[in-house]
Amino acid sequence: MAQAAPVLNHSKPLKHGHNVKRHTGLMDWITTVDHKKIAILYLWAGGLFFGIGGLEAILIRIQLIKPMNTFLNAQLFNELITMHGTTMIFLGVMPIIFALMNAVIPLQIGARDVAFPFLNALGFWTFLFGGLLLNLSWVMGGAPDAGWTAYAPLSTSTYSTTHGVDFYTIGLQIAGLGTLIGGINFLATIITMRAPGMSYMRMPMFAWTTFITSAIILFAFPAITVGLVLLTFDRILGANFFEVGAGGNPVLWQHIFWIFGHPEVYILILPAFGIISEIIPTFSRKRLFGYSSMVFATILIAFLGFMVWAHHMFTTGLGPVANALFSVSTMLIAVPTGIKIFNWLFTMWGGQVRFTTPNLFAAGFIPTFTMGGVTGVMLASAPADFQFHDTYFVVAHFHYVIVGGLVLGLFGGLHYWWPKMFGRMLSEKLGKWTFWTFILGFHMTFFVQHFLGLMGMQRRVFTYLPNQQFDLLNLISTIGAGLMGVGTIIFLTNVFLTSRKPVGALDDPWEDGRTLEWSIPSPPPEYNFKQTPLVRGIDALWKEKTAGNKGMTPAEPVGSIHMPSATALPFVMSVGIFIAGLGFMFSRDDFGNAFMSFIFNNYIVTAIGLLITFGSMVLRSVFDDHGWHIEPEELEEG
Amino acid sequence: MTTDQQTPQGGVKHRYRHEGPQKHIVVFIFSIVLTLIAFAAVAAGGVNASFAVILLLVMAVLQVFVQMGYWMHLKDKGHMLPILFMIGGFFVAGTCIIMSLYWVWWD
Repeated sequence: MAQAAPVLNHSKPLKHGHNVKRHTGLMDWITTVDHKKIAILYLWAGGLFFGIGGLEAILIRIQLIKPMNTFLNAQLFNELITMHGTTMIFLGVMPIIFALMNAVIPLQIGARDVAFPFLNALGFWTFLFGGLLLNLSWVMGGAPDAGWTAYAPLSTSTYSTTHGVDFYTIGLQIAGLGTLIGGINFLATIITMRAPGMSYMRMPMFAWTTFITSAIILFAFPAITVGLVLLTFDRILGANFFEVGAGGNPVLWQHIFWIFGHPEVYILILPAFGIISEIIPTFSRKRLFGYSSMVFATILIAFLGFMVWAHHMFTTGLGPVANALFSVSTMLIAVPTGIKIFNWLFTMWGGQVRFTTPNLFAAGFIPTFTMGGVTGVMLASAPADFQFHDTYFVVAHFHYVIVGGLVLGLFGGLHYWWPKMFGRMLSEKLGKWTFWTFILGFHMTFFVQHFLGLMGMQRRVFTYLPNQQFDLLNLISTIGAGLMGVGTIIFLTNVFLTSRKPVGALDDPWEDGRTLEWSIPSPPPEYNFKQTPLVRGIDALWKEKTAGNKGMTPAEPVGSIHMPSATALPFVMSVGIFIAGLGFMFSRDDFGNAFMSFIFNNYIVTAIGLLITFGSMVLRSVFDDHGWHIEPEELEEG
Repeated sequence: MTTDQQTPQGGVKHRYRHEGPQKHIVVFIFSIVLTLIAFAAVAAGGVNASFAVILLLVMAVLQVFVQMGYWMHLKDKGHMLPILFMIGGFFVAGTCIIMSLYWVWWD
């Protein structure tokens, strides 16, 4: 308890009476545990990796622009497709999802922070260092090249002799830690920190999808962790889980990967469903149609999502009974998803629809995602899948659901909550340009790929022969990819121009805000709510608006607010794991340098890294952090 | 779902009454007895091996329920969500393990 006497003395110099260390500049970002700042960190880091993944996509498309192209060689192409998939999913879109969750969820449920602010920071830093480790592979002997699914036996040390796949297994394990920590944090936050009156069935839809997504993370990520650990053991310690020659089973890797991998696609898409379910009611001036069926559908999708993984493996020879069962369970998912699509349409039906930028993205999402869903049902049919498998039809399908679904949702969400996160409205004009270039480019890129796949073009080939009628469609696809790049650049321009404007967004900049985040200033003060609001119904703020009230009714008197202390420990812990990972990866290498070989081959580097991490944990456990308080007098000043 | 209430001062008020230690002492002894039975069944050596395995499993399952219910408080009010999540976890993990084992080793 550092602050004692001065705090009790309620006089004017109180603000300086605290013994709270206020960091500025870079140190502020490294030590922050504030969910709003962590959201911004997630956004920049996720945006960086999204940009890297996007550049990789553009390079892939340039290579495929014409037959027999020599722009990239086959090895580099394999590295690019592997890193494009891995980067986009684990380091690009998932962190941006976490950015929006962090920025919005505590505000939507009327909380002052997440349940575990320290863990929140730890989750971000482990993700960032895992991502950096994975991308270091480009300059440290070659990126992973076994595809984003890293199927054994290609990914085992027999066939992948460089360190590429090691970067994949260890980088993803470190990044995966962050995701798991984040998921558990949001579960605890939503279960325990909802404002008085906010029952589960009064939670905003985005809070619901975040809750369910976090539960899927909790159940699915352990599977990939186990798989990655087994693969690491195979590659570095000479185990034989997936080595056929030594009695291992490569199909086991596929099971483990897809037991995680299929729930993963719902981890990606459910938050987008939540974002769309927030945007559409706001800009239709109507409450969400069929709220309880939306909740039910979300839970059902999560449940079914764990029962369908083998549909990625129809061609491995599971037998007709298993294939039929998994076909049916996969097609079943179309039912709750269809419920959602119709609910969004019925929300817009008869509403006063305003096509602002977020709503354009939401409206563009519905038909685009539906197309991805329809090809999904086609792929779910096992006999047909024997034709579609490993062709561009599959590539078109999953880009329709991930880009046409999730990325459109994320762009919509970013435009929608940007004023709440940064206090500045993004330009509507540039936003609309972003939308139209991006969605046109998207359909140009991926619509034609359905036909390329049906005509027999395989995925993951680095080039193709002329005169197979592939040439024109590939050219169109590449031009479309360029157009998506232009859309992204317009968005970045928009962000840059907006950041130069003064902070001036209203509390409720879209004027029709329905949920709690629009009842507080933009950007919110660090304690979010001066007084915890009393929630009297679904769409809490809208209910007060229709009752003619100025704002939310407080559920508590003004009092001192307990805040968590800033700390650099999460950053230091993640640096430790990063060092340990690198040390472990190179523990079998001969460096041709006695000192380097000594410290790596004897696990000294690994030990130093683990010492840093566990030492930080000891520090965290031994020294109690009591946090600090913001007193009512300071609230009045603010 | 929690039965604790946040007071305006930031403290936590427990709504459920505290039980005496008697029940916990009984449960503690019961846990030890379960362990002793399992240990004795193997240490004594006279027990048929396949029966010992079944006995051990039964003791283990009983032990899990005792530990979860009393020491992790799952029997108390307001623990519906932890129970739900544990059932969910067992269900998902169980399905995946059984299916994978079936396909990878026996099919």
